[in-house]
Amino acid sequence: MSVSEINSFKQSVAVVSKKIKTLSTDFVQYKHMDFLSKDIETSGKMIFKEPSLLLWQYKRPYSYSVIFKSGKILINDEGKKKSVDIGNSKMFGKINKLIVGSVSGDMFDDKEFTISYFKTKGNNITRFIPKDAKLKKYIRQIELTFDKEEATVEQVKLIESSEDYTRIVLKNKTINAKIDDSVFTN
Amino acid sequence: MPLEKKIVAVPYFSNSDTDYVYKANISVYGNELTGIFIAKKINEATHRVVFTTEFGNKLLDFEISENDFKVNSIAEELDRKILINTLKNDFRLLLRKQYLIEEQFENTTDEVYQSREGNMYNFLFVSKTNEKQYKIVHSSRTKEKISISFDSENNIFAERVVIQHKNIKLKIELNYLQSKSN
Repeated sequence: MSVSEINSFKQSVAVVSKKIKTLSTDFVQYKHMDFLSKDIETSGKMIFKEPSLLLWQYKRPYSYSVIFKSGKILINDEGKKKSVDIGNSKMFGKINKLIVGSVSGDMFDDKEFTISYFKTKGNNITRFIPKDAKLKKYIRQIELTFDKEEATVEQVKLIESSEDYTRIVLKNKTINAKIDDSVFTN
Repeated sequence: MPLEKKIVAVPYFSNSDTDYVYKANISVYGNELTGIFIAKKINEATHRVVFTTEFGNKLLDFEISENDFKVNSIAEELDRKILINTLKNDFRLLLRKQYLIEEQFENTTDEVYQSREGNMYNFLFVSKTNEKQYKIVHSSRTKEKISISFDSENNIFAERVVIQHKNIKLKIELNYLQSKSN
């Protein structure tokens, strides 16, 4: 992308993501490991509500959900419930911001990431390399694929190494539907 | 009792075409840890074993054979020698494709095959009623240390595996992850 293309792309993503008060989307996650004959496929639903309520829920092939809520992580593993206090952990803040940012597209933080831009026929692609050494241990690179027309994220790719990555495809996205706080209870 | 078989094969992780993918629940001294357990036979002697979180990030990545062991990666929180050694021994027992048998017994319900490993023993239990291999017990001369039980429909693939330690509070439960395409 040229500098002017980057600027107009960033602007259109910013316009869309600024409007997001709530967001819900279905997702399919493909865990790719080079030594496996096929990717491990799991799927579910993700719901976000401003300022920082987040539900990440796997429905198939197992039921497992994680809620990020006011300094706590609430886990529900096939009905087995657990709450983890994380207080004001900086790392937690970063992960929360990362997940929401990945899905909304609002991640253009030069202080946190080295960012590069590419385009294909129907998509704009941005590549984020974490600057934080701790974060970098878990994720070498994040790749967001945007729909060119809507300027919303279609796919998130978390790259661990050259051979292994997690690819998350977002489908049936709904922005700013009314979402009750009770969705974020375990 | 005369020996019927000199070698007993354990089929549950032996097919190199199969991705063995399980939902794992690990309970260790009252703490619960969950994730995805993945094993794959990558050559005649070696298995790759990976444990990830539900989100897909890798917590450990081992290569294991009878004689070799390699840590490809391990998360900081799990990087303790005692833990790695325990898992190494458990996985070796779990993934071994055959046992050399030195004695054979029977009780009312099972055929029991005894295999020796230095000063330790492995006992393989085969049910008389359905001829299924359903348990391996790793023990010293006097004490049971680890038991691995298998639930299998077809006696080739195990839908459920439980690794239970007797001398430490560690239990690993694996339930086959049924994906859509299977």
